[in-house]
Amino acid sequence: MKGFDLMAILLNPEFGRMLVHGAQMTLIIALGSWLLAMSLAIVLLVVRLAPSRIAGRVVAAYVSYHRNVPTLVQLMLWYFGISSLLPDSLQAWLGEHNGEAVFAIIGLGLCQAAYFSEDLRSGLRSIAPGQAEAARALGHSFIGAMRHVLMPQAVRNAVPALVNHSVSLFKNSSLAMAIGVAELTHAVKEIENQSFRAFETYLLATVMYLAFSLLIMAGGAWLGQRARIAGAR
Amino acid sequence: MNAVIDILRDNWLLLLIGQYPNGPLGGIACTLILSVLGIVLAFPLSVLLALARMSPWRLLNAPATALVYGVRGVPLLMVILWVYFLVPLLIGHNVSGFVTMLCTLVIYEGAYLAEVVRAGIEALPKGQMEAARALGHSHLGAMRLVILPQALFNMLPSMLSQFVSTIKETTLGYVINVPELTFAANQINNQLLTKPFQVFFILAVIYYVVCWSLTRAATALERRIETKRAGPRGRLGAAQPAVVAQAIAAEP
Amino acid sequence: MITFSNVNKWYGDYRALTDISAEVKKGEVVVVCGPSGSGKSTLIRTVNRLEEIKSGQVVVDGHDMHAAMSSVQLNKLRSRIGFVFQSFNLFPHLSALDNVMLSPIYVTGVKRGDARERAMQLLERVGLAAKALSYPAQLSGGQQQRVAIARALAMEPPAMLFDEPTSALDPEMVGEVLAVMRSLAGDGMTMMCVTHEMNFAREVADRVWFMDAGCILESAEPAAFFAKPQHPRAQRFLSDLRSH
Repeated sequence: MKGFDLMAILLNPEFGRMLVHGAQMTLIIALGSWLLAMSLAIVLLVVRLAPSRIAGRVVAAYVSYHRNVPTLVQLMLWYFGISSLLPDSLQAWLGEHNGEAVFAIIGLGLCQAAYFSEDLRSGLRSIAPGQAEAARALGHSFIGAMRHVLMPQAVRNAVPALVNHSVSLFKNSSLAMAIGVAELTHAVKEIENQSFRAFETYLLATVMYLAFSLLIMAGGAWLGQRARIAGAR
Repeated sequence: MNAVIDILRDNWLLLLIGQYPNGPLGGIACTLILSVLGIVLAFPLSVLLALARMSPWRLLNAPATALVYGVRGVPLLMVILWVYFLVPLLIGHNVSGFVTMLCTLVIYEGAYLAEVVRAGIEALPKGQMEAARALGHSHLGAMRLVILPQALFNMLPSMLSQFVSTIKETTLGYVINVPELTFAANQINNQLLTKPFQVFFILAVIYYVVCWSLTRAATALERRIETKRAGPRGRLGAAQPAVVAQAIAAEP
Repeated sequence: MITFSNVNKWYGDYRALTDISAEVKKGEVVVVCGPSGSGKSTLIRTVNRLEEIKSGQVVVDGHDMHAAMSSVQLNKLRSRIGFVFQSFNLFPHLSALDNVMLSPIYVTGVKRGDARERAMQLLERVGLAAKALSYPAQLSGGQQQRVAIARALAMEPPAMLFDEPTSALDPEMVGEVLAVMRSLAGDGMTMMCVTHEMNFAREVADRVWFMDAGCILESAEPAAFFAKPQHPRAQRFLSDLRSH
């Protein structure tokens, strides 16, 4: 085995470019799917709270599907399966415009929305029952009570779970590699194929992933601190 | 819909057991064996890691904590790559994809289960350890006779839930050519080429049925455990079963 | 039997125990009372070293409990002191009988058959032989605490410590636990009890120690203490109790 030589990777312009491009792609996918997941999660939550029983069942089915089917299989279903059902012109357009990344963002975003909506729902349920009553007794409407009293507390309660799932989402970006997206793990495999320096390459990627995960967790802790009400449990 | 039935009829054996006996055992059988072995082997590792994490000695605590945080902060694919690279180096000869995937799952699940075990131990009232020590038991004796039996029993639903996660994680074996269910489905797709949606639809449904039933079993198990603990005077009013809470918190 | 010599415990500026010197003689029943935060629980927990001390000595049956020693030695000494907790702390995964049998088998090495026999005798003594196979969740608070007493007695300790044994019980169950403690005292057991049950103190104790702010302010026989407390804070404590 050749000696440990980190610089052979870092200083090589070709490899450096691949790493940077891979990291960029990872961040784009992670951010894109996070935004999609969050917005959809709020929509799902509001739908679930509607008085209709059908709405509740639909959302429950949505969540159940995305929690029980492995994420990789979901991505495959989107990229190989659903894309084949699209009209040819759309397929061609997607093929030229980074279709893999689009499907990765859609697949990961929809999957994570299920988890985020459950986190928000748990956050809502863990509010003391008297809060909603007190708000209505003071004369707030349903929307008003949600806006001023319930959602702020629900989000506070849900922050730890949301942060955890955000880290999961970030790590799941690596699954996009299986449908051909040139993100960080893909770049790492490519570099390793060309340089035969698996240890150094993997070490670099591990450090980058860890750094980002810890960054997200630290950000979450900071948010949690800011949101903490003095003296609250 | 007809296409789905045709595909199932033509390929059910491949989906079930892969190319056995003309090749290694694959399909659902491979997925399930991999998952069961993975979690069964990960379990003792997780108990050791949890105890090490809770120990006051830096020599035990630091490496255990580093391992747990390291494994949890990195994608599963990355862990697979590491294991794929390191295991042949350590053993001296190449190993099959199945063994690589098994080692990965043991390490990955070991780290996640360690946190579940630790939470289970810390959730017990402090008085239990105190009472055991007051009677003269040593720390390890108290762990063996009083703490771990309670913690592990309380955690059975969580472990079942983690087993479901393990099944979902086996799908990544596809990337290193482990002949499990996802790999089998891709084989079928590569042969047929014209019906990708139906093939992957079948794949999704199979996983859904397996995971959903196991999750239901875990929730039912948890309700039974709570009822037993609370005695004939009723359940102690949990707001939401912990298994559901943990499944919510688990990795997608 | 239990001797405190100049025992001190502090955290930073906060003094939990200040210069405690007192003795529980063999066969004596001592009740420790006082307002909450007075250090009574802390004091009783120093006897089997569930709490550490900063200076002084706690000697039980000739053994210095806070000397430097191996954990094996400490475990052995602890097994020779019975401790009954406010929250019972029965082991929920074991039946009442198993709770009582567990420690004689695994700590003292008693044979299973002998341990079982002794456990059944003790359960009978506390009036719970019929509940031997029940689990803690199936027992009332008073029953659980009586099993806890049997569990402590199973180790055949020369002294028993009670840390507010009835404070977590519904009022109608206090009597059954106090009855067991009364009978133990009648049999000559050395007992140190932290409790608010003043009638029990009056009828069973040989001495009452009144504590406040980490010091033993008064130590007297119950008749004298309840009739005419000397220290002003003791007077205020007793009058507060009576006004309920």
